Amino acid sequence: MSIPIELYLPIAGNSVNIAAVFGLGGAVGLLSGIFGVGGGFLMTPLLIMMGIPPTVAAASDSNQIVGASTSGTLAHLRLGNVDVKMGVLLLVGGVLGGTVGVEIIKILRQMGNADFLINITYVLMLGLVGGYMFVESLQSMKKAKAEAKAPSTQEKHVKSSAFGRFSASLPWQMEFKRSGVRMSPLLPLFLGGLVGVLSAIMGVGGGFIMVPVMVYLLRMPMHVVVGTSLFQILFTCINVTVMQSIFNHTVDFVLALILLIGSALGAQIGAKIGKKLHGDQLKILLATLVLVVMFKILYELLATPNVLLAYVGGH
Amino acid sequence: MKRAALFIVLLLALPASALAEDVMAQVSPEAIDIGALYNGTSIAVSGLVPEGSQVALRFTGAPEEVRMKQKGKFLGLLWMNMNTLHFSGVPKVCLVESTAPLGEMGEAGGKLSLTGMAQSIGIEPAGADRGMLLPELLKLKRGEGLYRESSGAIVLGAARGAAREFSANVSIPSRLSPGSYVVEIFAVKDGRVVAQGVKNIEAKLVGIPAQLADLAFNHGALYGIFASIIAILAGLAIGIVFQSKEAH
Repeated sequence: MSIPIELYLPIAGNSVNIAAVFGLGGAVGLLSGIFGVGGGFLMTPLLIMMGIPPTVAAASDSNQIVGASTSGTLAHLRLGNVDVKMGVLLLVGGVLGGTVGVEIIKILRQMGNADFLINITYVLMLGLVGGYMFVESLQSMKKAKAEAKAPSTQEKHVKSSAFGRFSASLPWQMEFKRSGVRMSPLLPLFLGGLVGVLSAIMGVGGGFIMVPVMVYLLRMPMHVVVGTSLFQILFTCINVTVMQSIFNHTVDFVLALILLIGSALGAQIGAKIGKKLHGDQLKILLATLVLVVMFKILYELLATPNVLLAYVGGH
Repeated sequence: MKRAALFIVLLLALPASALAEDVMAQVSPEAIDIGALYNGTSIAVSGLVPEGSQVALRFTGAPEEVRMKQKGKFLGLLWMNMNTLHFSGVPKVCLVESTAPLGEMGEAGGKLSLTGMAQSIGIEPAGADRGMLLPELLKLKRGEGLYRESSGAIVLGAARGAAREFSANVSIPSRLSPGSYVVEIFAVKDGRVVAQGVKNIEAKLVGIPAQLADLAFNHGALYGIFASIIAILAGLAIGIVFQSKEAH
């Protein structure tokens, strides 16, 4: 099956099998197209296993996501799933939050034990988000079966009255047509900022924190969430690619290009698969994925590592 | 204490190597070109060693400083990256090839082994547990394919008077960065190095990898912007191809 062509990557300083990298890109792109996450949490460790240095793996992955999310955003734009106004607000908030997050992590590192805090934050966030999403979507799936089709939006308004009242009390209320919601732009700006802080601290793109935030706090329909998330990730990753290229020289463009051809294809197929699934099915699948990642990180924390040394700079 | 011991070892080692004769050897190719299709290579080493001696070859890269985190248990339960360690004098690559397992080559074999080589690696802070850390470092590097110790690839040929021919193919890993490397040849007899030789090998990027590396390291901003634009164009192209497919 595998095409016996190895290509030397000048920045990674190693050679890789083109077919293997292409396949990896395709698989991760599929997930990205379905769920609107970048997939860095899967891609980076697998690249490291293929012999790519950790810093190069993470940075090249950002470069790859630029291509995959362009393709994914385009597919979702066509399906009418991108709320550009919301995306821009979240993005602006995310950039500001990311800057704050980078400063926080600097302070934490100086205090020592930063890695411990990062990992614990990771496990807690993933556990909470994944667990909540899982239970919530399971319940609403059961409900949907029980009562043929209930107007779920009204019910949600009742559930979160406190948050809803707070949201309604903010100034400059405006309409977000694509998402079918009305709120102050301050809310997505603030929440985007919060995700930005967290993702800078945890060193991830933040797709799978952003998605639940959009679903549960911004009350956007799941399909629009996926498209808008990809739109937002596109710009975040352009920023990371350029910054990494300037300051760390860790972007391997050859690696990224092979990955992205695979993942851009995967993202297109993923967007179509996603369209066939219901919002609740999407949510529960993403919740499962998030929980799997959480358990993997928890396992790494608990199991005795194979080698008791790690390079500094990697994740 | 350890420094003093190291000093004595050096003192003992110096005259020994000064006494040893030179090994005449050829290495081919004399330079390694890393092009787009580079996927590891092998270098042929051949020459003459004193009759009755065993041969060890060592391919090493320039020593460098490596910053690592030691993993330890936090609160007695969770594995975490704990304190930072600075390793100095860590060769980028260290491949040792010998006619017989180094363990059977006496004192000299011990020194030539990876474990022996590791004794010259420095660790900061000074109080670090060398006995635990050095084997871990070797394990990490072995796992990356950068360190290796093997026997059997060297072929001893016909005797020529007081000397004997040898030849070997040393396989070089794909994970090779450009830089200066050396091939050292040791003739070992009765647990001592009786003759040795050194050949330099330069590894350099050629073709597309060389151009990309130049752009990445010398024009980082431009490289990053290019990388992003090409990624966007590729993503758009694939998206459009899919759309047109659907239209038909």
